[in-house]
Amino acid sequence: MENLIIGFQDVLNPATLFWVAVGVTLGYVLGALPGLGKATGVAVAIPLTFYLEPVAALGLLIGIAKGSAAGSAVSAILLNTPGEPSSAPTALDGYPLARQGKAQKALKMGLYASVLGDFVSTLILIGLAAPLASYALLIGPVELCAILLFSLTFVGGLSGGSLTKGLIAAAFGVFFATIGLEPETFISRMTFGRLELEDGLALVPLAIGMLAVAEMVLQAGNMRTLDHESARIVQGASRDDRVVTAAEWRRCLPVIARGTLIGSVVGILPGLGASVGSFLSYGATQRASKTPEKYGTGMIEGVAAAESADNAVVPSSLVPLFALGIPGSVIAAILIAAFILHGLTPGPLMFKQQPRLVADVYASMICASLIMLVIGYFGQRLFAMVIRVPLRLIIPGVLLLCSVGAYMETSSVFSIYVMLFFALIGFFARKLDFSFVTFLIGFVIGPSLELTFRQSIQILDHKAANLAGHPIALLFIALTLATVWWTARGNARAAAARRRSDLVLPGSASRGPASTETTGNHKGG
Amino acid sequence: MTHPTRRGLLGAAAALALGLAGSATGALAQEAYPDKPITMLVGYGAGGQTDLIARAAANVMSKELGQPINVVNKPGAGGAVAAKELQAAAPDGYTVMFHSNSVINSAPFIMERVEFTHEDFDYAGMLTFFQVGLVTQKDAPYDNLQEFIAWAKENPGFSYGSLSPEARMYMEAIAKKEGIDANIVPLKSGGDMINGILGRQFVLAFSGGIHNKYPDEMKMISALTTIRHPSDPDVLTIEEDGFPLGMDTRTTLILPKGTPRPILEKLSAAMQAAETDEDFNKVVAAAGIPIMYMDLDEAAEEMESSYAKNKSVIESVGVVAK
Repeated sequence: MENLIIGFQDVLNPATLFWVAVGVTLGYVLGALPGLGKATGVAVAIPLTFYLEPVAALGLLIGIAKGSAAGSAVSAILLNTPGEPSSAPTALDGYPLARQGKAQKALKMGLYASVLGDFVSTLILIGLAAPLASYALLIGPVELCAILLFSLTFVGGLSGGSLTKGLIAAAFGVFFATIGLEPETFISRMTFGRLELEDGLALVPLAIGMLAVAEMVLQAGNMRTLDHESARIVQGASRDDRVVTAAEWRRCLPVIARGTLIGSVVGILPGLGASVGSFLSYGATQRASKTPEKYGTGMIEGVAAAESADNAVVPSSLVPLFALGIPGSVIAAILIAAFILHGLTPGPLMFKQQPRLVADVYASMICASLIMLVIGYFGQRLFAMVIRVPLRLIIPGVLLLCSVGAYMETSSVFSIYVMLFFALIGFFARKLDFSFVTFLIGFVIGPSLELTFRQSIQILDHKAANLAGHPIALLFIALTLATVWWTARGNARAAAARRRSDLVLPGSASRGPASTETTGNHKGG
Repeated sequence: MTHPTRRGLLGAAAALALGLAGSATGALAQEAYPDKPITMLVGYGAGGQTDLIARAAANVMSKELGQPINVVNKPGAGGAVAAKELQAAAPDGYTVMFHSNSVINSAPFIMERVEFTHEDFDYAGMLTFFQVGLVTQKDAPYDNLQEFIAWAKENPGFSYGSLSPEARMYMEAIAKKEGIDANIVPLKSGGDMINGILGRQFVLAFSGGIHNKYPDEMKMISALTTIRHPSDPDVLTIEEDGFPLGMDTRTTLILPKGTPRPILEKLSAAMQAAETDEDFNKVVAAAGIPIMYMDLDEAAEEMESSYAKNKSVIESVGVVAK
């Protein structure tokens, strides 16, 4: 603890704080631009840090990582274009909020949830790095497989009106995730001879196409209502539309706490990543809600759930890195190189050999959280001006941003074709009321589930009886079965209730998430 | 003679696409080379080991050549997507690729749609060596391949972590010859491998060299290369243990076929500066990667011999291009 105080003394000087702030700002902007994420930002910045003092250099890099996780919410909310794939669930409720004139409210909640998730997760890293990391190693492929299987049951809760349609969409998500080299014997699956498909479809162009491009196409299709709408969308008139009210705080705080917990756990576990974290948190929040059917139409809790988990993943994914020297995420793997360059070899020994530098890193991480709050708060006012522009002028700009974003990661036009293909699918998914949330969950979890399942078969020596040696896995399998049973029973009851109510209100069946807004437009036109 | 704008470049930090104009040919141009920024393709995503080395090398080379070098990540099919693009680029030295030479000297034998030969490209040199080996926990009851095989015969159904088709091939070849029963666990990344070894999910794994960062937790029992590793000079190569399966991989500066020799020489000399550059040495030392510089002639020779060697290794084991 006294080390931490020395750490703050080292960090709290203008030069170091300046570089941390530069990192956060850079990350925030990179995060807001679709396609440019923290991995690219940090990788590009590493050579630049050769010329900085170690503390400033590491502060800069950590600032980029943290800032971009928060910045990605901005474009998700304002443009329905997640800056990073892990902010895709933020768009589900954030964008409808923006369309209702509550963009500032959504942006603020996104920022507060980001900062809180990040801050608490940083504290978890500082306090529990060593004890937690040894548990992370107990989670092998067999346990991960069971956990992922369990997380697929969230599909049930996120399916919206029709469980069948939700499952169909999820199955399509898994299906598209199977494209590429099969992970065990490296046979190409459905690549049609395209080398670009050997590594599978990338999440970024797919998510951009489904969420943003499809939405823009739909909007453009409603030209007559557009101008009428834009007039309505300008800043919400009342103050309550611009700030987070006390009542909303009360509703969102438990959501943020849960999101932070989910994000931190997902970050510590190897190989899951921020996208899994934010989707799980969104799913869990929706399931726990008393009004699950309203998700996707502008629930502030949805934004809080997704962003708190998304940002909590970043610091906690450093837990295995600091405690054991194992990279728990892509960003941690990149940071290893940077840490070593600046004289800090991640691993249990670094606490003994370099206590002061470790304390400096911790102090700069805490400072980065607070700086993020300030920069995000003022940055949002600039970004939020986007909504004053008439929608018919925004659409071309967003389409350009989408294309650049899709192109960035692979520097290849092929990704833009992928984006357009999924724009088409996203368009029909909206029109036909299929949930693209469950599609994305299937797509994100499918490949990990397949890989860990194949790994488990090998590790268990092809014998189901060997599962007995994996109690954590057994627990999650039991939870999965219980949830499936519970969902099916609830669904059967709901169906029975619907049959009764349909007699009174024909055609009142509820619809999938995020579709209400667009359907509303048709009525307007 | 000037051609119109030919390539879009990604200004990395600014994230803006820039157009670049101008490209000259002829002897004059070779003397003036480079008089505009160079694009360096990397066939892996940003942030991987090869990408970090490429960026560090690009830094050094750009200082030497006096022109910026823009690193462009073009991941896909282990680098084959980027190599295809390089093949189509003009052989003027302004589009280069920094990558593991495995994309040319072993991918064609493993992936059906990759059909490069070593003669499809020119090479300006090689810079670092991948210390590929079989690794296990530090406290494992075997220290070399022979002891492991003896242990494996007593313990059928053990698990082996495999990262790539080559990794699979090694275990299949050993298992076939020695009659041992191995479960091959597929892995996606070096990080998976480290987790699996430290978490005791498997008893042996294929490592592309990353194990050198974990000297206290891991040991190598066999070098899968034709020469012993600078980091583990006492560990025998797999060839010394009686399996003629050693394959060498090195980061290589690859150029389109037909690049004029004076340009190759300039690039080669610029890359050699990395050998003694302080920042570059810090980057590779941090990753436990040895520098083994080869100039353009040595690189061409190495490509030719390793291409033939790897072809015979992979074909002898009976892996067919899928």
